Amino acid sequence: MKKLGLFLIVLAIIALPVFANGQSEQKATGPRTLSVLLSEEPSSGDALSLILDKWAAETGNKVERLVIPYDDQITKFPLMAKNKDLPDLVATTRLTRLYPDEFLDLSTVINMAIFEPQAVAIIGQDYTSNKNLCLPQQFTITNVYYNADAFKKAGIEVPTVDDPWTLDELYANAKLLQEKGGVKYGMAMDASRARYDNMIYMNGGSITVKNGNSFAVNVNSKANVEALEKFIEWNNTVMPKAIWAGGTNDNPADYFKNGDVGIYFSGSWQYNGFYQDIKAFNWGVMPSPVGAKGPSAIMGGSGLAVPANADGKDLAIEFLKWFYEDSANFQEYLNNDKGLSSLKDVTYSPADPKVVADYKVLQSEVAKVSDAFNVDEQSNWRNYYDNEYRDALRQAVYGSVSAKDSLDDFANKLSKKSGWPLAK
Amino acid sequence: MAAIRRKSNGMKHTLAFWMFVLPSLALFTVFFLIPLVLSIAYSFTDYDGWKTMNFVGLTNFIELFQDKSFYSSLGRTFVYTLFSLPFKVIIPLLIAALVCSDRVAFKSFSRTLIYIPVLLSALVVGITINWMFSTEYGLVNYIITCFNGKPLDWALNQYLATFVISFASNWASTGFYMIIFIGGIKGISNDLYEAAAIDGCNTTQTFFKITVPMLAPTTFLAVLLSTVNLLKEYALVQGITQGGPGDKTTFIIQYIFGQGFNQMRYGYASAISFIVMIIFALIAFVQFKMSNEGGEN
Repeated sequence: MKKLGLFLIVLAIIALPVFANGQSEQKATGPRTLSVLLSEEPSSGDALSLILDKWAAETGNKVERLVIPYDDQITKFPLMAKNKDLPDLVATTRLTRLYPDEFLDLSTVINMAIFEPQAVAIIGQDYTSNKNLCLPQQFTITNVYYNADAFKKAGIEVPTVDDPWTLDELYANAKLLQEKGGVKYGMAMDASRARYDNMIYMNGGSITVKNGNSFAVNVNSKANVEALEKFIEWNNTVMPKAIWAGGTNDNPADYFKNGDVGIYFSGSWQYNGFYQDIKAFNWGVMPSPVGAKGPSAIMGGSGLAVPANADGKDLAIEFLKWFYEDSANFQEYLNNDKGLSSLKDVTYSPADPKVVADYKVLQSEVAKVSDAFNVDEQSNWRNYYDNEYRDALRQAVYGSVSAKDSLDDFANKLSKKSGWPLAK
Repeated sequence: MAAIRRKSNGMKHTLAFWMFVLPSLALFTVFFLIPLVLSIAYSFTDYDGWKTMNFVGLTNFIELFQDKSFYSSLGRTFVYTLFSLPFKVIIPLLIAALVCSDRVAFKSFSRTLIYIPVLLSALVVGITINWMFSTEYGLVNYIITCFNGKPLDWALNQYLATFVISFASNWASTGFYMIIFIGGIKGISNDLYEAAAIDGCNTTQTFFKITVPMLAPTTFLAVLLSTVNLLKEYALVQGITQGGPGDKTTFIIQYIFGQGFNQMRYGYASAISFIVMIIFALIAFVQFKMSNEGGEN
C-alpha cells in the first residue's frame, strides 16, 4: 500500500506541469502574450531582451521567450510549422531564406525606406523575390580585436585605418606577439566559415561566381586553395589549432578575454560583451588586414521575422511597428547593443572616447565588403550545404586531407546538389 | 456449470492479460513500430524533411554502399566499441564485488557516489568532462603542468579524443552496470561461498571460480546493453569533441544525424539507419549465440 501511495505521489509530481501548462493556456485571456524565438539565453544586458521587456511594460502584454540555437532552429522550425506550434516572432539569421513561404512579407506593414539598404540586402532580402521577410535587427560586421597590452609589450604599433597591415605583416606580428607579447597565441579566429571567408575574398577567391543568370561553383579555385593553405600554416604556428581542427567546444572569445590571444578575428557583436567583461587588460579594435586582392569584411546579423501561420502574428506586427517606427525605442535598443545601426536616421553616439575610437574603425570595415561576397550571398549556396563547408575546412586544418582535395571534394558535392557547374 | 465457470475465468485471464500488455504495446507501437516503418519507408524516398518526397527506389542504398564516409564512420564506431567495452563491463563488475564485500566500509555511501553520474544528462557529463580535459584550461592538464609535465593535446590527438569520450561514457554508466552486477551477486547462493571457504578457496579464487561464472547471465546482459549503447554513442560525442579533430571521432550515429538534419537528407539518413539497425541486430544475435543464449544453456 505504501508503495502504491509513493507511486501515486511520483505520478502526481510528473503530471503537475502538464496540467499547470494547460491551465495557464486557458487563463490567457487578459494581457496578450508574444512568443519570441531567440537563438540563445539572453544575458542580463541583452539589448533585444531589454527592449522586449520595455514593450511588455508599456503595453501591458507579456513576452514568452523560447530559446533554440541557430543551428537547431533549422531543423526545429519545420516541425513547429507542421505542428502549427509557431512562435509569433522569430529572431533569425537564416530561417527566412530556407523557408520563405512560411513568413510574412513585412514590407507590406513596415516602411522599408527607414532601413539602411545594405542591412536590408544582407539580412532581409529574399533574393528569389522582392519580398522582405526579415527586418534587420542586429546589423553586424566582421572585425579584428587586439590585446593592447600585448602589443605594447612586444613593441608593435597598432595599424591604422589609413595604413592597415598586409596578411604577411599580420602573420609576422602574430609571431612576434607570441614570442614577446606574453600571449599564448599570436592570433585566433572564430570557428565560423564567415570569419575564414574573408581570407578567400582578400586572396581573390569566392565560393561561387556568376554564370549568366545562374551561378558556378568556385570554391576550389586556385585562390581559394592558396588561402586555405595559408590558413593551415597559421593554425600550425600562431593559432590555437584545436579550434579549427575540431575536437573541442572551446570558444576563442574566452581565450581573448583571458588575455591568451594577441589578435582576435570575430565580429562587432562581441563588442558589448568585451566592453562589459574585459577589465584585466587594455584592448581595442584594429582595422582588418589587406590581402593580395584587397580588403574584405563580411556583413551579417540577425533580423526579426513573423511566421505567416503564427497565432499572434498581429501582436508581433504591433511590436515591430513600436520597435522600428518610434526611433526612441530603436535608439534605446542600439545604445544597449552598442552595434551598427540598421536604421538610416538612428545612430549610436557613445560618450566613452575609447568606444568612439573603436567605432570609427568598425565603421571603416563596412566599406570593405567585397563584390565577391555579395555574389555569394545572392547565390544562397548555404541553402545546399553549410556546416559541411566548415567540416571540409576542419579536415584540411587537422591535416587528414590536403587543402586542394578537401575543397575539390566540397566543390563536387556543392555542384551536384545545386546543379551549378564547376567554374572553369 | 463448471465449464461455464472455466470459460468465465479464461475470459478474465485474457482480459487481465490485455490490460497489462496494452499500455506497453501502445507505447511500443507509437514510439518504436511506427517510427521504424516510417524510417524504412523514407529510405526509399528523397524526403528532405520538408516538402520534397519522391520515390527513388534503391538509389539511397546504392549510394550508401559506395559512400566512403559511411564505411569510415562505421569502422570508427566498431573500434571505439571494442576499445570501450571491456572497461564498461569489468570496472562495474569489480566495483560491485567490492561494495558487496563484508570487508568494505561505507558501502551505501560508495554505491550512491558511484551511481550519481548515471543521473546526469549527457550534456552535463560533456560539460564536466570538458572542464576536466580542456587542453587550455582543463583540470587534468593543470595537474600535469603542476608536476612540470607537458600538457596533452586532448582535442588534437585522435586517440586522446577517443579516450576522453570513452572515459566519459564509462564514468556516466559505471553506476548503472554496478547496480545490475550487485543484483546478480546478491542472487548467488551463500552456500556456494561457504562450501568454497570450507574447501580452502581464497578471495581471488572465489571471485573467479564462483562469482564470475555464476554471473554469466548478468554479464551477458551488461555486455549486450553496453555494446548497443556504445554503438549508438552520440550525445557525449557532440558534447565533448563534436566529431573532431577533423572527423576522427565522427561515429555512425553522428554521421546519420549530419546527413539527416544538417544536409536535410532524411531519405538517405533513413537508409543508413536501416542498414545500421540490421548490423547492430546481427552483432547482438552473435553475442547471444556466443554466450550460450545469454547463459540460459
